[in-house]
Amino acid sequence: MIRFQHTEIGYHRPLLAIEDLHLQTGKVYALLGLNGSGKSTLLKTLAAQITVLSGNLLINDFKVEELAQNANLRAQQIAFVSSRFEGVEHLSVADYVGLGRIPYASIFGKLTADERQLVHDTLEKLGLSYLSEKRTLEISDGERQMVSLARAFVQDTPVLLLDEPASFLDFLNREQLLRTLIPWAMHTNRCVVLSSHDLDLCIEHDLPLLLLAQQKLNVVQGLSKRDVQQLLIEKA
Amino acid sequence: MFIGFTLVLVLSCLVHLELTKVNVLNEVQANILWWEFRFPRLVSALVAGAGLSLSGLLMQNLFRNPMAGPYVLGINSGASLATALLMMGGFTFVSSNLGLVGSALLGAMLAATFMLFVSWRIQQTTSLLLVGLMFASFTGSIESVLQSWAAPEEVKQFFLWNMGSLQQLTAQQAPWLIAIFGVAVIWSLLLVKALNAFVLGQEQAFQLGVRIKTVRFSILAITAILAGSVTAYCGPIAFVGLAIPNLGRQLLRTQDHLHLILFCLFFGAFFLLACDVFSLLLEPYFSLPINVLTSLIGAPYIAYLVLRRS
Repeated sequence: MIRFQHTEIGYHRPLLAIEDLHLQTGKVYALLGLNGSGKSTLLKTLAAQITVLSGNLLINDFKVEELAQNANLRAQQIAFVSSRFEGVEHLSVADYVGLGRIPYASIFGKLTADERQLVHDTLEKLGLSYLSEKRTLEISDGERQMVSLARAFVQDTPVLLLDEPASFLDFLNREQLLRTLIPWAMHTNRCVVLSSHDLDLCIEHDLPLLLLAQQKLNVVQGLSKRDVQQLLIEKA
Repeated sequence: MFIGFTLVLVLSCLVHLELTKVNVLNEVQANILWWEFRFPRLVSALVAGAGLSLSGLLMQNLFRNPMAGPYVLGINSGASLATALLMMGGFTFVSSNLGLVGSALLGAMLAATFMLFVSWRIQQTTSLLLVGLMFASFTGSIESVLQSWAAPEEVKQFFLWNMGSLQQLTAQQAPWLIAIFGVAVIWSLLLVKALNAFVLGQEQAFQLGVRIKTVRFSILAITAILAGSVTAYCGPIAFVGLAIPNLGRQLLRTQDHLHLILFCLFFGAFFLLACDVFSLLLEPYFSLPINVLTSLIGAPYIAYLVLRRS
């Protein structure tokens, strides 16, 4: 689903080089790294916001350069949830989640009956129905984070990128997040990449880990917390 | 709801026309009065009200700031400065009607671009508004310098223009203003989806498939076209562009820009028309420039919004 081929990534200067890596569909990858290791840069590159410096990056067989150019194609391939949504005055939760349908909407952005049902069902699946008519400014940071996830689900893309989706969540919602994401990715063939600092949670759910250290990206799975920490701080 | 809006608007048009009626001797005079006076004034009120409100809505969307508007962000100041240069700076080579509109447009466009650059560097609302204020006072002083050089009749012409008036539009200019306005409205209706996405910020809008650069340019261009042409024909009119979009969001409780655009068009037109009706009613006793009326109503409303927010 996501394929790196001799890819160099960074803002103007190379920050990270990935020789050959393939992220498969049906899985939820956890991107781990120390502060400043380049997690956000990598996510933004995957989201087609930053161009790759050299080499190839294919997302669902589309070159990332093409996705950067073709606005509608990009929005139908990649959904991106940034680490913080601060809410917008007068914007209701249901309308906010409905914005996920913009890539498919007609000229005035009106939702069809099916799409409104999809918004409703998605909120229900995440246990957020009670928020539907609330304004996005009135709800808590954690609720906004969950609602942003709902919006990304509604966007219905093969690739889903989440920048620290659990940073404001309590332990119940963190569980809920992964219990929703993992089966969703598996049963509907999505590729999810989420960045996180919650090592315990990632290991507990046995997620494949993308470790970002020493300007390299390695995939590991099934290691102990201690081993992972060792890998993250190890000097080259 | 929009049927109701239309009815109210048509009704106020009729009231306006009734008030501008003058007893005349014959059909020919009545005809002249209609084309030279009553019709252009009605068009001015409708287009200026709707146009300024729409440009305010677009500015607030682009800057993600409910306190943005063509007046406070110095778009009017840019248009005003360009007009001052034209009227008093001796640039007579373009002193035709088209020159007046053209220079006001250019001034508005430059000011809009300048403020966009500033807004990239300064995220804070208050700082941005302060820059707008400084810009307005800077252009104001250049205008003063120009006034001290200019001939008395040029100064008078500029002074009258600067008061803001719905009576300066001529019958020949009216179709131009309507045409410019029509283009701007259609253009902004094409942007509805992008405007809805812009509410979440430009990064999220990008991920939702919006062509950021195109839309940003379109918003600036539409705003400059609307604020620039209205300012050129009617002078700077304060607070309409700031107040009406805020009222729309508050009343409709939505960020759906299709509804907000329609609200701004209808209610903006109605608001300025109502202000003009009011000034027509007061005319037998004393005459109020339109700018005074819009500020009298608009300024307290904005102050209320700011107080409620903090």
